[in-house]
Amino acid sequence: MAKLILLCLKFIILSSAVEAVFEDQVGKFDWRQEYVGKVRFSHFDTHVQSSKKVLLATENNVFAALNTRTGELFWRHVDKTGPEGNIDALLQHGQDVVLVVGNGRLLRSWEINVGGLNWEIVLDSGSFQSACLVGQQDNVKHVAVLKKTVISFHYLSNGHQKWIENLPESETVDYQSVYSDGNGEVYALGIVPHSHIAIVAYSVEDGEIIKQVTMIHTAWLSNIQASCVVISQGMLTCVDPLTVSLYMLDLHTESQMTQIPLQSLGLEVAPGFHPVLVSTQPNPGRQPLSEFFLQLGPDYYQLLQLNNGQIVTLRDFKPVRNNFSTLYEYLFSSLQASSLNLFSAETGRRLLDTTLIFNMDPYGGKPEKLHVQAFLKKDDSVGYRVMVQTEDHTLTFIQQPGRVMWTREEALSDVVTMEMVDLPLTGTQAELEGEFGKKADGLMSMVLKRLSSQLILLQAWIAHLWKLFYDARKPRSQVKNEVTIENLSRDEFNLQKMMVMVTASGKLFGIDSKTGSILWRHYLDNIPSNAAFKLMVQRTTAHFPHPPQCTLLIKDKDTGLATLHVFNPIFGKKSHVSPPALPQPILQSLMLPLMDQDYAKVLLLVDDQYKVSAFPSTKNVLQQLQEMASSIFFYLVDSTQGRLSGYRLRTDLSTELIWEVVIPAEVQKIVSVKGKRPNEHVHSQGRVMGDRSVLYKYLNPNLLAVVTESTDLHQERSFVGILLIDGVTGRIIHEAVQRKARGPVHVVHSENWVVYEYWSTKSRRNEFSVIELYEGMELYNSTVFSSLDRPHAPQVLQQSYIFPSYISTLEATLTEKGITSRHLLIGLPSGGILSLPKMFLDPRRPEIVSEQSREENLIPYAPELLIRTEWFINYNQTVSRVRGIYTAPSGLESTCLVVAYGLDIYQTRVYPSKQFDVLKDDYDYMLISSVLFALFFATMISKRLAEVKLLNRAWR
Amino acid sequence: MHLTALLWVCMQAALVVAWCFTDMETGPGAGVSTQPNGDRFKIEGRAIVPGIKTQDWVSTARILVEGEEYVGFVRTDGSFAVNDVPSGSYVVEVVTPNYRFEPVRVDITSKGKMRARLVNYIKTSEVIRQPYPLQIRASGPHTYFMKRETWGWTDFLMNPMVMMMVLPLLIIVLLPKVVNTNDPEMRKEMEQSMNMLNPNPELPDVSELMTKLFSGSKGSSKAGGSSKGTRPAVKRR
Repeated sequence: MAKLILLCLKFIILSSAVEAVFEDQVGKFDWRQEYVGKVRFSHFDTHVQSSKKVLLATENNVFAALNTRTGELFWRHVDKTGPEGNIDALLQHGQDVVLVVGNGRLLRSWEINVGGLNWEIVLDSGSFQSACLVGQQDNVKHVAVLKKTVISFHYLSNGHQKWIENLPESETVDYQSVYSDGNGEVYALGIVPHSHIAIVAYSVEDGEIIKQVTMIHTAWLSNIQASCVVISQGMLTCVDPLTVSLYMLDLHTESQMTQIPLQSLGLEVAPGFHPVLVSTQPNPGRQPLSEFFLQLGPDYYQLLQLNNGQIVTLRDFKPVRNNFSTLYEYLFSSLQASSLNLFSAETGRRLLDTTLIFNMDPYGGKPEKLHVQAFLKKDDSVGYRVMVQTEDHTLTFIQQPGRVMWTREEALSDVVTMEMVDLPLTGTQAELEGEFGKKADGLMSMVLKRLSSQLILLQAWIAHLWKLFYDARKPRSQVKNEVTIENLSRDEFNLQKMMVMVTASGKLFGIDSKTGSILWRHYLDNIPSNAAFKLMVQRTTAHFPHPPQCTLLIKDKDTGLATLHVFNPIFGKKSHVSPPALPQPILQSLMLPLMDQDYAKVLLLVDDQYKVSAFPSTKNVLQQLQEMASSIFFYLVDSTQGRLSGYRLRTDLSTELIWEVVIPAEVQKIVSVKGKRPNEHVHSQGRVMGDRSVLYKYLNPNLLAVVTESTDLHQERSFVGILLIDGVTGRIIHEAVQRKARGPVHVVHSENWVVYEYWSTKSRRNEFSVIELYEGMELYNSTVFSSLDRPHAPQVLQQSYIFPSYISTLEATLTEKGITSRHLLIGLPSGGILSLPKMFLDPRRPEIVSEQSREENLIPYAPELLIRTEWFINYNQTVSRVRGIYTAPSGLESTCLVVAYGLDIYQTRVYPSKQFDVLKDDYDYMLISSVLFALFFATMISKRLAEVKLLNRAWR
Repeated sequence: MHLTALLWVCMQAALVVAWCFTDMETGPGAGVSTQPNGDRFKIEGRAIVPGIKTQDWVSTARILVEGEEYVGFVRTDGSFAVNDVPSGSYVVEVVTPNYRFEPVRVDITSKGKMRARLVNYIKTSEVIRQPYPLQIRASGPHTYFMKRETWGWTDFLMNPMVMMMVLPLLIIVLLPKVVNTNDPEMRKEMEQSMNMLNPNPELPDVSELMTKLFSGSKGSSKAGGSSKGTRPAVKRR
């Protein structure tokens, strides 16, 4: 017990030494952006006139309410990822929204004002087809859900099931759609493909089948939802592309199906186009409108009306780029790509003063969907706003006559990879830097240069003071320090950087790390849907006047074919450098530390013939490669066959196999292979022990950590393995197996340690394990490390700990010179990002405290690691579904820049060893100056007093 | 390795204890693998934040079962249900950015019998029963922030070093005013007591102590400064 108390005390003492956020630092250098993902359903809340909500259900299984004035989130509910959280349908009635989730597994009702759940019920299994609200006149009380074999009917108020009925002949009939128009009946519409339509009408009251209709002679029909709509008083209208005619059937009277050839209406279908019908039902308790659209071509819509059983053409819309959006008795169309007009549905006439012009972003995608919010103005005319959804998942909310109210880049909800690039120097900074670069200029010119640069600095300082003075006179609201691409420049500690983010949709972003504002965006169309991305910085901003250069490798996972996109990371513009065409599938890419004459690092691409191509491939580069070839090694991983192989480059840019490690794929599979980060620095080569001797670290830059998981997932037999392999020689340095454990395994590999986390199936908890490698008390070769000449195997130390939470992702902090102690950044499912000091994961933590271990500041071993909320670097700014954490060094050794991305993006700075190299922001200038002044006056007074005293004594 | 060795002993001890208390078909140590077509159950409960209206926090709350394996949401009245959970043993957490809730372990047998117990990652089979349906009460707001070390006059004055300096100073200044020093008897008495107080001449002088203190704490400067002027005068008398 006493030991436990001692331990607790130790923890308290230690934790006070660990950094945490102070309350007044909130928002000072951190920011968060919340996203929802690509919108699947959207619905404007119209039940209150003054409502500012738009409800969104997205492909990322998120249901959210946005403020239409600002574009910010009111609330957001993040469901499970994958098909189980998939939102199938969204139905709104009043202040309730009903969602069908997980292929019809769950029915949820949300209260939209508070954002709380009303009820949730589980539906019977079966694949979801369609759902609709059912009401009578304005009184909507029920929701009908149609599945493959059953139709069920639920109360809106509490979700209870009113009735459930099996669909007749559900083995043969494919029921696809459910319809109701408030007459006490619900229709399930189904077809037998290429044979007939089946319509079943149920009574709303008890689910009794009122009537059942089968229509033959509909062999042309294969999909109801694609080619049929219900219009007016229950007229089922279908379009047949073969006979080019409309078929109409009255659901209530079940008379014969009537055929209306489109030619008789004077209409023609564009060749090869499948015509589409669009109708609208403004109120689930009322009939749909009798006006409907027929799309006859990719950019050709026809407005039709059913008038006393006769179809009348009202107006044609041609050319129309985008979808129509219909709402009540008004119709909207976006004509000529950039302007939107309002038409009256009854007459097809264009309403005056309803034009809305929107300018498309040249770097964005094409508009995909329009979501229109209409409202009555004070003078009873109709006003409207529109939310445009483009291919690149951007939402733009536009008000008449074309003012963009807000833009949301929803592509950022799916960031795949990112890099941080230093901002360029300003002209004056570059001038100053230039002074140090050149040599042998003679004394006089050096002095002159020095003076001139000092003058430039003085000038800049005066200009800065003048600006301060000028701004101070203006009211505060007018002073704006907006960051634009023009005034971007590096700050004195290099804390502000450009975040280049690559999203799964193929849109690239350049974000200012200080404010989070998007400085440039670039949409790459024709990105394959299953693309893998790798972003590399080929040239940093340090080589003025050469522009910085980033290269994005886009690889189709199926075919292995890759393309390169070369761009300037500061401005986002595509580079003039034309990347090589890559006709062969690419296996591996590697950045070499070699540079060409323009200071661009060389990128090597290995294709499936094991041939290597270089980019850039100038003569200079090829010559350097030939000289260096014998010392360029790379490895390939084939996880399906469990094969790891190492290759060496030959002078003719072909390769030779050097080593091969085969891990039997039927027993275990390779999950991840992690090397060290190339920009990592290790400051100290060893650790000073309690007895003043030095334990040297095994710092092999070529070491790879290979994680394997067993294919047998039974909890008694599953295991997680970790292999440490030298990437040059293929020598297995260490092998460890964690029995009764399974993935997902998260690994961090840095310096001389590997930290990994797994799930222990035996104890049902997450465990961390740390492996540290040491050379011993003596270094074999202290000047240079060579994998080929290291005869001694390193000492391996390992220790494991319990971690009381699941983790989503794992990363380590990184600083400029590696002097600062390291922390592990752990993304938790709760959205917190925990900064755990690496010193807690130290295999040398002793079980019994000795004098020596105390000398070394080792914490006594405790099996459980603690999660303290003070260690959350993002306090209550949770990051949903955190998928990755990116760390980058800054110009200050104490400071590491951190970006966590998932559904949200969070940027902050961490100080793992506190801010030892700058004055803290709570430094008390008042205190120090008041003490100085007080001291000064005290000496003055005491001097005077002493004089008086001396004088008095002399007189005595 | 280290950990397992260490834990094995206590685990075995705990298992014996746990077996006696369990009333379940599947023991907590045995664990249950997930069958794809097995029965699915519902974990129910209620989350309470004392003193806060439910509307103010439910929209940010989620129920996480085994990380994000199963997700549930909180109803407007604070109750929750996580549907579609197969039998097994799960850690259920209420996650909100602002309030702290303790996690609970819920065991579901293959027949759908439920029980809740405290989460203990070290003695995983220890059973301390919790009510089921779950009643999870927030234990207060999360403390994310460290308190800044603020500087105030009271801190400064209540500093023991300052107290040690100010009190003797007061005595030195006030005592001659109270006691008549011209009285020879009193003078003799005082000299005696002074000798008693300072029997060892090697002891550091008061002034040395002052300078040490002065360099030690920057805050004590004022007192130190002013005392310099007065001290020699007193001693001379």
